[in-house]
Amino acid sequence: MKSKLEIIFISISFIFTALLFIIIGNLFFIPSPQGFIQSLFSEEMITALKLTLSTSTVAAVSVIIIAVPTAYSLSRYSFPLKNVVKSILDLPMAFPEIVLGIALLMLFGNNLLGNFLQSLGIDIVFTTTGIIIAQFFVAFPYAVRILYSTFNYINPRYEFVSRSLGYGEFETFKNITLPLAKSGIFASSVVTLARCIGTFAAVLLLGGGTYLKTETLPIAIYFNLSLGNIDMAITASIVLVLISFVAIFVLERFANENINKG
Amino acid sequence: MFLEVQNLSVDLGEFYLDNVNLNLDKNSYMVIIGPTGSGKSVLLETIAGFYRAEKGKIFLEGKDITNLNPENRGISIVYQDYVLFPNMNVFENIAYGLKKNEKNRAIIKSKVLETANLLKIDHLLDRNPETLSGGEKQRTAIARSIIVEPKILLMDEPFSAVDVSTHSYLTKLIKNVIENYETTCIHVTHNFNDVWNLAEKVAVMKDGKILQQGNTKEVFSKPSHNFVADFVGVHNVFEGKIMGKKSSLTKIELDSNLILYSSDEPGDSKKVLVAIRPENIIFSNEAFVSSVRNQITGTVKEIIRVGPIVWIEVKIGKINFKGILTPNSCEKLGIKKGKEIYLSFKSVNVKIIDENESYNSMI
Repeated sequence: MKSKLEIIFISISFIFTALLFIIIGNLFFIPSPQGFIQSLFSEEMITALKLTLSTSTVAAVSVIIIAVPTAYSLSRYSFPLKNVVKSILDLPMAFPEIVLGIALLMLFGNNLLGNFLQSLGIDIVFTTTGIIIAQFFVAFPYAVRILYSTFNYINPRYEFVSRSLGYGEFETFKNITLPLAKSGIFASSVVTLARCIGTFAAVLLLGGGTYLKTETLPIAIYFNLSLGNIDMAITASIVLVLISFVAIFVLERFANENINKG
Repeated sequence: MFLEVQNLSVDLGEFYLDNVNLNLDKNSYMVIIGPTGSGKSVLLETIAGFYRAEKGKIFLEGKDITNLNPENRGISIVYQDYVLFPNMNVFENIAYGLKKNEKNRAIIKSKVLETANLLKIDHLLDRNPETLSGGEKQRTAIARSIIVEPKILLMDEPFSAVDVSTHSYLTKLIKNVIENYETTCIHVTHNFNDVWNLAEKVAVMKDGKILQQGNTKEVFSKPSHNFVADFVGVHNVFEGKIMGKKSSLTKIELDSNLILYSSDEPGDSKKVLVAIRPENIIFSNEAFVSSVRNQITGTVKEIIRVGPIVWIEVKIGKINFKGILTPNSCEKLGIKKGKEIYLSFKSVNVKIIDENESYNSMI
């Protein structure tokens, strides 16, 4: 016999999950099958899809590689200005993504740093590199936040025991800490990849959203919607939904398998 | 000296060590006792190298290891909460430390089997640590630490999370293992049975300081501080004044003009504390002729039964003495509140604590 509170809470979760499902599912019924197929195999869609997947993968992998040591140091070590570092890392989660986009554009644009990089042959603004940098900085704080909680949750005594048994700091990190942090690393990978794929404003500002060059899927949705090309915009949305769904499904399944093995 | 801790100070914010000195011979077994938060675990973890000393030195076999990394000290640690690696089975947990320097699989397997056999966990080697009982987990943790043949084995309340019968079994087992591996041990505990069953030396800690260390019997029978006396269960600690000597015994006057005789030699101080263990007080309904030099009368103030013993509190003037009896003896003597009763105890059981020394070290 379920309690009243249980029934109310379960009902709320069902109603709003159903609403979300209807909202997302609705997309699949709007375009005509012919319009959908045409849009799906258009040059713009294939280019945007390839660009989104490649830049997001590079950005997400880079984020995890950098976020793991960052989060670990915040969790385990004491150092000057640690609280300031934590606050700065949390900041981009609190303000709109477009602010980060403008800040990046100003930093890498026509100024001292931008010109210096250009003189070295490194173009950031309105390039694929710019897209990756924008995705990186949008997703990075989220990954650090999840990994920080993960490392905090791991009892440091596991590491103490490993050290007392003859293993150095790095060996202990590799043999003990990383395997114990596996589920957190997978969770942050899912969120990071989703954030990279879905980044819009920052990518638009730093990448420029040039047709067939720096146009990712979210930008394709925005441009085609502005031009009244509804089939193309909705098809791009459906593709994004499917990519996100597959990414989350695959990563979570992989994570669960590894946790069970562990 | 095998292990020598000299004037060690560590500050971790909430926990700290203050000028700790500790000495330990090779193959000896020391137990550290003290209230929660007294710094016992921090001391173990500093000896293991997990915390840096702000001040002081640690010497192992004459070598200064104060700034040596934990992995180079040859000191293993066992925790109360086992901390078995959940990503490894029992075999892999035990073999973990061994694998660092031993690559021959056959040797690793044989040593793991030998240690597991000694700790009677050889049937659990394929199991995941999560599926083990508390006692099995602790035996695995001990096996993992001892297999690398550490110079010192540190144990932080290793038996506190297991039931009474497992505790007793593990105590016997650990004794056997320590003898077998000829390991020097430092064991933190709240359980006095561990002290009596395992320790050759005991140290009492409070507020980040070691108040007293020494031979177990000596610390328990002759505490040098009033806190130690109270903590190790002496209970009867009273302020007194040295009144001189009488037939080679020290005459001490307590409050309410009560005179006690002690076999201890007093120090320079006239003001002292005297300590009498409750189990050394004999209760009787009448005075009796014996060699016992202290015989006093008082009124029974409180009778409290705690498990198989009865605590009797007797008021003599402003002083309350505590003694213990069995329920049977209590009934035979007809002890009840308000009854007049005789208390007798030998002069050898009246221990003198220098009051100034104890107060100074408590500040």
